[in-house]
Amino acid sequence: MKLAGHYNKASIIVSVSVLITGAIIYFFVINYIARRQFDSDLSEEVSEVLAYINYRHHLPTRTDFDEDEATFVKTGLKKMDTYFFDTVYYNTKQKRIEDRRAVKGLLRYNNQNYLFTISVSKESTEYLIQIITLITLALMTLLLIILFITNRYILNDLWKPFYYTLNKIKLFNISDDSELQFQTNKVDEFREMNSAVAEMSIRAKTDFHNLKSFTENASHEMLTPLAVITAKLDTLIQDERLNAEQLTHINDIYASINKSTRLNQSLLLLVKIDNSLIKDDEVFNLQEAVNEKIQQFQELMQSKNISVTTHLQDRVITASKYLTDILLNNLFSNAVRHNNINGQLHIILSSSQFIIKNTGDITPLDNNSVFDRFLKGKNSQGTGLGLTLVKSICLYYKFNITYSFKNSMHAFIIDLPVATTNN
Amino acid sequence: MIHIKGFFIIYKYRQIKYTHPQYLPYHPSDLLQYQKLYLIKKQLKLLIIEDEQGLRENITSYLNEDGNICEGCGNCTDAIDKLAAYNYDCVLLDIGLPDGEGFAILEYLKNTRKNETVLIITARNSLDDKIKGLYMGADDYLTKPFHLAELKARIAAIYRRQNANSNNNLIFNEIIIDLNGRTVSVNHTPIILTRKEYDMLLYFIANKSKVISKSAIAEHLWGDEMDMHDNFDFIYTHIKNLRKKLIDANCKDYIKSVYGIGYKFADA
Repeated sequence: MKLAGHYNKASIIVSVSVLITGAIIYFFVINYIARRQFDSDLSEEVSEVLAYINYRHHLPTRTDFDEDEATFVKTGLKKMDTYFFDTVYYNTKQKRIEDRRAVKGLLRYNNQNYLFTISVSKESTEYLIQIITLITLALMTLLLIILFITNRYILNDLWKPFYYTLNKIKLFNISDDSELQFQTNKVDEFREMNSAVAEMSIRAKTDFHNLKSFTENASHEMLTPLAVITAKLDTLIQDERLNAEQLTHINDIYASINKSTRLNQSLLLLVKIDNSLIKDDEVFNLQEAVNEKIQQFQELMQSKNISVTTHLQDRVITASKYLTDILLNNLFSNAVRHNNINGQLHIILSSSQFIIKNTGDITPLDNNSVFDRFLKGKNSQGTGLGLTLVKSICLYYKFNITYSFKNSMHAFIIDLPVATTNN
Repeated sequence: MIHIKGFFIIYKYRQIKYTHPQYLPYHPSDLLQYQKLYLIKKQLKLLIIEDEQGLRENITSYLNEDGNICEGCGNCTDAIDKLAAYNYDCVLLDIGLPDGEGFAILEYLKNTRKNETVLIITARNSLDDKIKGLYMGADDYLTKPFHLAELKARIAAIYRRQNANSNNNLIFNEIIIDLNGRTVSVNHTPIILTRKEYDMLLYFIANKSKVISKSAIAEHLWGDEMDMHDNFDFIYTHIKNLRKKLIDANCKDYIKSVYGIGYKFADA
């Protein structure tokens, strides 16, 4: 829910509950005041009745009361407190029941105790309460409508600079050289936010540039010692006094150097791809690249006696040739390395997909972690970054890559985007 | 007089020895190629600009063994001083130097119209740097770490490319390689080699009398991007085939296996 929605909800709940509470209190207060008014009217009536009796020496007749009802009943009661109460009365003239306020008490006349009841109609007050309720309801509705409109239009307008900034942040590209520009704003909070975002973007860019130069320097610093080791070994193996066992050790060192070089380069490449630092896209035929790669891996495949079946179509893509080469390299290396002796390799390139299938281990790989960094098979001599690189490159070009295991074949499927027409 | 006459005789004898066809390793018709061979075999004067002293020393000693003259320096200033004072055939240039980028040296060579061959050796495997370097006049680009054998083959290749003319032959005893036509003949009998075998032979000749590790050969022939350091079996197949073809053409068996590490292409 949007902020305006949340605000609307809260403000409506608060105002409605305040209005309802207010209305209830209002109702009771008016009722109370009206009752007091009735009671005082009735008291006056009673004193009038008493005065009447004292003056005329007989009980008042019905006609002496206008709208009010009064009854006098002889009673044997000696003592009783006068009290007020609500009652209903059937109005014979208007033929309807009406609410009334009444007073009941004792009076003495001619040495005889009378129980008197005088009641007045509450109708006029009820009418007043109805009107007040109606006005309150109308006010409440009006208030809600005004609140809603205010929130909807004025708040939206107020928040406009926020969405503008948000949009800028969404479009922010760390490798872009241009700085974030914001509109000047009257609202303190937004001004503060804009300056904080601008500051943050500058900091992020500086950090990014530092990281970039750090990765480059790290590459230099790590590869130079490896170059020294290689050169020293190349010189060392010229020594004729070395025996076969020593030379075998040296060979193992070569293999380790090779591996750490590869690891280093893969890591640097991953960083570069993740930061979109490689921008040399060109249009070329993927089929040619795949054919070239098959040619390159010929010997390797022959040495394992792997039979290759291909089904390739022309497919022009726009990508970096360098990255495509790495992508194919890693997929092919993977398919050949983990293949069985006398295994099979299927390579399929259609206009929508590139599929590489190979025989190998009979258990499928874990679909969730197959592309994870440093995850490798038990017998793998690789760096553990090969498929991670593949995934990164696919992500970079928004190709969707999936792994599946069917008919004891491991398959990597790359969905190529819709073909762009080549002018 | 006798002394003088004796000297003359010795001189005459030497002349005969060095010009008579039977003492020449080549057919007289190959005289042009002989001259070419002389050109190729001539000493190279190299300048190694690399700040890592250990690496510089190893490169120097490896390349010097062929009779080349190597000089080294570790920063831009020294390098420009040396380039201003002397002429070199080839410059090995590290891009990351303590007092600036190696590109400054390329700029200097371009501005002073010196035509030294430049081979960049760098740890930066960045495509931008590679393109920039080649655009600024470098002849080749080698990424660290590299095998000294690879470096030597690259230098030889650049040098051959620079001195190439219509008749560009590389001769090693009875083996004659026509670099333009990419054909090989042994004792004037052409032999047919595959592309890999041909590349391998060139690589061996560039690094003759040196032990070359299998990983260096694999990297040279298949590139370092191909990840296969756990399996060198197929190199053996190629070497076996190359050796068989050479021996079948009555070539001496120059390829020697060095157990546990690799191969050596040597005359003796």
